[in-house]
Amino acid sequence: MARAKTEQQQPATGMTLIVMVGLAIAFLLFMAFLNVVKSGNLLNETNLLFATLIFYVGAGALYLGFGVTGTESYVKFASLATWLGLIANTAAVAHRWYEAGHAPFSSVYEMLLSFVWTLAVLTLVAEKKFGVKVIGTVTMPVAIVGVVLMQLLRTEVHPLVPALQSTWLHVHVTLAMLAYAACALSFALAMMFLIQDNMKTETFLAVTSASTLGIYASVVLTRFEKWGGLSLVAWNPENKAEVFLSKGVRLFVTIPDLGWLMTLTLLVVASPLVFYALARWKNDDSFLTLANRAVFLSILLQVMTLVMFLVRANDGRYPSLDADGLFPTSLAASPFILSGLVGGVFISLLYLLLVWRRPDLGRLLPSADNLDRITYKTICLAFPLLTLMIAAGAYWANQTWGSYWSWDPKETWAAITWLVYAGYLHMRITRGWRGRRAAYFAILGFVVVMFTFFGVTYLLPGLHAYA
Amino acid sequence: MAVDLRALAQKTWRTIASIQTGVVLLIMVVILSAVGTIVLQRPVTEPDEMQNAYSPHALRILDAVGLTDVFHAWWFLGLMLLVSLCIVAASIDRFPNSWRYFSRPYKYPDESFRRALHPQKLVPIADEESGLMAAQRALHSVGFKPERVVREDHFGIFAERHRISELAVYIVHASLLLIFFGTIVDGLWGWRGTLNLNEGQTSNKVELGDGTARTLPFAIRCDSAGQENYKDGTPKKWWSKLAVVADGRDVEKKEIVVNDPLLYGGVRFYQSSYGPNGKVAKFMLVAAPNHGSGERQEIGLAVNDTVPLDADTTVRFAEFIPDYAVRDGQVYRKSNELQNPAAHLVVTSKSAGKNFDVWFPPIDEIADNSKSPWQFQATDLKMGHFTGLQVSHEPGQWGVWSGVVLLGVGLAFVFYVVHMRFWAVPVCDLKTGKYSLWIGGTANRNRDAFDQRFNDLVASVEAELKAIPVISQSEQVATPATEKLRV
Repeated sequence: MARAKTEQQQPATGMTLIVMVGLAIAFLLFMAFLNVVKSGNLLNETNLLFATLIFYVGAGALYLGFGVTGTESYVKFASLATWLGLIANTAAVAHRWYEAGHAPFSSVYEMLLSFVWTLAVLTLVAEKKFGVKVIGTVTMPVAIVGVVLMQLLRTEVHPLVPALQSTWLHVHVTLAMLAYAACALSFALAMMFLIQDNMKTETFLAVTSASTLGIYASVVLTRFEKWGGLSLVAWNPENKAEVFLSKGVRLFVTIPDLGWLMTLTLLVVASPLVFYALARWKNDDSFLTLANRAVFLSILLQVMTLVMFLVRANDGRYPSLDADGLFPTSLAASPFILSGLVGGVFISLLYLLLVWRRPDLGRLLPSADNLDRITYKTICLAFPLLTLMIAAGAYWANQTWGSYWSWDPKETWAAITWLVYAGYLHMRITRGWRGRRAAYFAILGFVVVMFTFFGVTYLLPGLHAYA
Repeated sequence: MAVDLRALAQKTWRTIASIQTGVVLLIMVVILSAVGTIVLQRPVTEPDEMQNAYSPHALRILDAVGLTDVFHAWWFLGLMLLVSLCIVAASIDRFPNSWRYFSRPYKYPDESFRRALHPQKLVPIADEESGLMAAQRALHSVGFKPERVVREDHFGIFAERHRISELAVYIVHASLLLIFFGTIVDGLWGWRGTLNLNEGQTSNKVELGDGTARTLPFAIRCDSAGQENYKDGTPKKWWSKLAVVADGRDVEKKEIVVNDPLLYGGVRFYQSSYGPNGKVAKFMLVAAPNHGSGERQEIGLAVNDTVPLDADTTVRFAEFIPDYAVRDGQVYRKSNELQNPAAHLVVTSKSAGKNFDVWFPPIDEIADNSKSPWQFQATDLKMGHFTGLQVSHEPGQWGVWSGVVLLGVGLAFVFYVVHMRFWAVPVCDLKTGKYSLWIGGTANRNRDAFDQRFNDLVASVEAELKAIPVISQSEQVATPATEKLRV
């Protein structure tokens, strides 16, 4: 009876979300259009990217809605939104290509543009070909974070420096983008597998809480300043660059009180983990209910922190401990903290999705066995691509720098990625690792890929200075 | 004792060849390489930057354990050797099995094999011959070359494709070893260095990374070098026109740019830098006599050039100092960077038998600018340029690149070439006396796609069975059986 009731209610709630997302998209597009009319420049890259973002966000919301409610019609509209976003994205890529006169592969911004494009294409492929309908729940948010990050990066078109003027640039980067997107897909599939495999929600709770805790702990430990401030890198808006005191020494500004807020969030974010530990230790499941409540609270606080961070770090001038006077900063100066905060909210929301999932969500996904196999297949695709990417890079380096391998951080981390996936394949083929362990391995592989892609670029610069 | 030793050796072998050891070694390589990207590395960092980053104590410890040069440390090399050893051992350990599999294909499935195999299917047939014929045709139609296996007491059909796929993993491992081998050859016999040439200069001395020089059996001359810029001022192209000089003549000429090196005699020359060399190519001046005869004239001088101004007077470009300082009435060269340049001209008058030192700028107490019979006005200073070449000799390269190609081929085989085998054996049910055809198949990867293929094959065998007119010994018995099948 109750079941019939929910079935009946479904179309109503289903339409609400679609209408809401549709209205939001229309509203945002309309607002954007008004802006465009004012500036008189319709088809520039910013607008195209904005349209891309709006459609991807809509698609992401609908995919999430499908994940929670299982309404089939969401997926149709979600893929429609993905298609539209992809068209806008393609136009942005084409525009960039035309403007720059070379394929968009030569800066972090351009690489992200291509990466997001490839990811959207693969999402549609996975959905249509493999029938993994919820894959967008994971890949679309990754694409959204990518597009948001792009807004913060330098976008000027740079002509190609001599070292990049090579056919191998295109070979190397195309292979890299394909490989990385395939890795992203295998990550999403592994996540789907874990959900389908009825992994205990507590385990997810612990992982979610531990990763958000890690994010906030690293922010607070490295950036907490005296009297509750948060230190951020100063930003020179004219040059669009970080401010340096001397070679390699950045100037930090301190935003007052934000440090306290971060610390508070850190404590709240840690609490689910504490409750989880208590539940394990005392063998008392009532603590888990507490832990779930703590997750709610932590999401609220995280969103608040994110908003405060966005508002305060995006604008305004702040004092510095190392120099007199007030200095501006910008979100672009702290891409890591920003992605960390967004990522934290995203992971916690993903957990909520899991808690709220319909008991029959499993029915909507391919079987666990199938997901496991498809994950393996995408890695079988990603691994040769990674190999070829490294080989093409080595050949190119040999032509440019006179050495095929220089142990440059990017090279080394590409090799590490390769080794991680090689480990996955060996464990799977010779030791018969299936299911959960293989899924963890696939997730680890993607984390390393992301570090190679972004982390190395910002944290460990070397010869690979372009991206 | 001897037995113990043997057991020990066996145990060691098994440990080295085991996948666990391989994975542990891989994890160690991963961790150490990651450390090598996080700790600043000596070869690519300026010494004072190292000292800024770490306290002297920490730096001493890091240096002592080799963490400041992870990728050239003996223990990292040792680890790589262990990895190679592990790959070799694991391959040797598993190879005989695979080789047996490869060289002696399993053509007739015995009963226990038949029972365990998946997928398999029993198709009712009228008699043995028609069943086998149908299987043969069905396999032919999907591109296999079926083979009839006849033993003393039984017979069947066997067909397979891409047997090589069983050995693909050894191709991959061999290619990795080939790459390692190439890099080791490069590490032992290869070298890298730099060669800076001024325009017009010829040299055969390459400065190696450790500061020593290496003499090439031929020389390189730079005819000219230059830089082109984009409109916004960022560099677009660096080029150098190089000539290889051997036995006193030009044997090869090439204009090199970044990404397009010159290769001669196993040595590669890469465009790596370009800039002013602090030397003057030409000093442009306007000279005018103090009084009397002679006309204003424009002259251009390289260092040590002497030019006559009139019948009595000559001027020589004696010296150029890119960064000068004056102390105790003497001019010194402070550095070789173009900071504070001074040019020294010597004007010689034969009739007066006197030399005049003309300086740009006119340095007090030293310069005789005002006394000189000719006055000079500097109009332009054309600086000379050098081209910086990266020179390398990598004799192991062929190993690396052939290893890479082999790796690509091997991986393609490992992931995308499937070894498929099909067997068809007529079996007779002892109770009913009826014949059926047992069809089985197996693939070494991508099993779900194979299942589909197997089902298609079975359907095609069934279709063939219907098409074959029954040619059996006893039509009376056979017909009802096929009738039954049709129902």
